[in-house]
Amino acid sequence: MAKEIHVRIKRQAGPDAKSYWEEFKMPYESGHNCVSVLMYLREHPVNAKGEKVEPVVWESNCMEEVCGACAMIVNGTPRQACAALIDELQQPIVLEPLTKFPIVRDLQVDRQAMFDALLAVKAWVPIDGTQDIHRHAPLISPKEQDIRYLFSRCMSCGCCLEVCPQYRKDARFIGPAALGQVRLHNSHPTGGFFKEDRLHVLMEPGGIADCGNAQNCVKICPKDIPLTSAIGELGRQTTIQWLRDLFVK
Amino acid sequence: MDVSKPAPSLLDKNHFALRRVHSLLGIVPIGLFLVNHMLANSTAFLGASHFNHHIGLIHDLPWLLWIEVLFIFLPLAFHGILGVVIALEARYNQNRYPYMDNWRYTLQRVTAYITIAFIAVHMLHYRFAHWFGIAANYGDAHHAAGGFYGFTIEGFQSGLLGLPTWVWIVIYAIGLAAAVYHFCNGIVTFCITWGIVIGDESRKRLSLAAGALGVLMLVWGVVSIYALATVDPETITDDSVETHTAYVIEAPPGSS
Ligand code: HEM
Ligand code: SF4
Ligand code: SF4
Ligand code: FES
Repeated sequence: MAKEIHVRIKRQAGPDAKSYWEEFKMPYESGHNCVSVLMYLREHPVNAKGEKVEPVVWESNCMEEVCGACAMIVNGTPRQACAALIDELQQPIVLEPLTKFPIVRDLQVDRQAMFDALLAVKAWVPIDGTQDIHRHAPLISPKEQDIRYLFSRCMSCGCCLEVCPQYRKDARFIGPAALGQVRLHNSHPTGGFFKEDRLHVLMEPGGIADCGNAQNCVKICPKDIPLTSAIGELGRQTTIQWLRDLFVK
Repeated sequence: MDVSKPAPSLLDKNHFALRRVHSLLGIVPIGLFLVNHMLANSTAFLGASHFNHHIGLIHDLPWLLWIEVLFIFLPLAFHGILGVVIALEARYNQNRYPYMDNWRYTLQRVTAYITIAFIAVHMLHYRFAHWFGIAANYGDAHHAAGGFYGFTIEGFQSGLLGLPTWVWIVIYAIGLAAAVYHFCNGIVTFCITWGIVIGDESRKRLSLAAGALGVLMLVWGVVSIYALATVDPETITDDSVETHTAYVIEAPPGSS
């Protein structure tokens, strides 16, 4: 059993600063995950050479792989640091920030682009009245509920964007996460009121046509969201919308 | 979001339509052309008279030049140019994420580049060689001994650009493999793009079917290359095969 925990962290003092690698060592304790290791290093900001350094910056909240905040590249794989257990990782453990988002500092990135994408596609269900409209909530079949549940688990962590060969900082592609959310909200009886709006956004530059079917997103998603099925389904929905635009309008 | 955004360009306004047309053209007519072209070539394996008969049928089509330009050249140019634009957007990462589907994505683009290069070489070889005066010993397609059959075989073994026949065999094998891969994997991405297949299971089934088609086409194409590379051009004479006189490159019937 390892006597210590050895981590190598890709650091960067600010958005435009130069990045560098720094190594840290801490006493081994069972049950650690990458976030708890970072917490220890915050309390003991001393690098492997024994120098006192600025504490490493990162984001996290839930510690149970549901908030999405702690996404980073752990030993080459984009994933949630809180769910990356030290006992299951090869050492030295290499931590890098996600590369598809602007770096704020160290392991903290700015994933605003993801939230902009959700706004652009209206990834919500409009309320159907601010007062009693004397109707029951619309029905959704249990089967469809099960499928929708899968998509509802997206935590905007950005791992799918990280591995997507079509997604990059400076390009327009909206990315797979938002596509999953369009699939989710289009299939809701009330959310479907915006279906046409959402599809039209997906038919603009950066929309669904910019997906290249590499299917990396679905393999990396920590929540096992069936993103490629969403992309196929939206391919069909946009095909139909396009024909409607061409022949019905 | 950004209210000061400039008005979208014509290309941007039709982004979706252009991509869908690109996708469709890959199958119809380009993919169909590829299948038909390979069908025609493979008749070389059956012998001179089959080959000359089949190619003769194509060359006897009315409005041939128009058909070629409208249904082969323009679609190919559209698909090829937009294809390069699309391929340049890719940020390949199969080294980091070596999933099979990711390799397929990368190969779809790599084979696109190879196919472009191959099509250029192929056209130079059989269509425009005489423009450049580099087809001295087979270039007079109008009067080649053995008709199209003789012309094609002479062309294959003529040492064009100073390359021996085995090099041409390799070039054609690579071009064949690239085009077949690109077409067959393209059938799968076409079906995803248009929403014809949606779930993982159906996509897997389709991938298997496309893979099988690919193997079939590859074998089929190798048979054609074998046939063209192994016949001794010296043995082909006008008398040994039924020749066609309708083979005119510059002025097909009806276009004058
Ligand atoms: C001239 C050179 C060519 C280039 C540069 C090229 C480029 C491309 C690219 C980049 C794609 C991927 C599009 C995407 O995933 O968004 C593609 C798709 C495709 N190509 Fe080509 N291609 C070429 C020739 C051909 C030929 C000769 C064929 C037919 C045999 C063909 C058939 C297809 C098909 C069927 C697709 C799938 C369309 C889809 O995903 O919806 N391409 N091509
Ligand atoms: S789809 Fe999956 S990988 Fe992508 S942001 Fe959502 S949870 Fe993360
Ligand atoms: S299928 Fe590939 S190209 Fe499309 S969103 Fe997913 S990772 Fe990106
Ligand atoms: S802290 Fe919430 S996902 Fe890791």
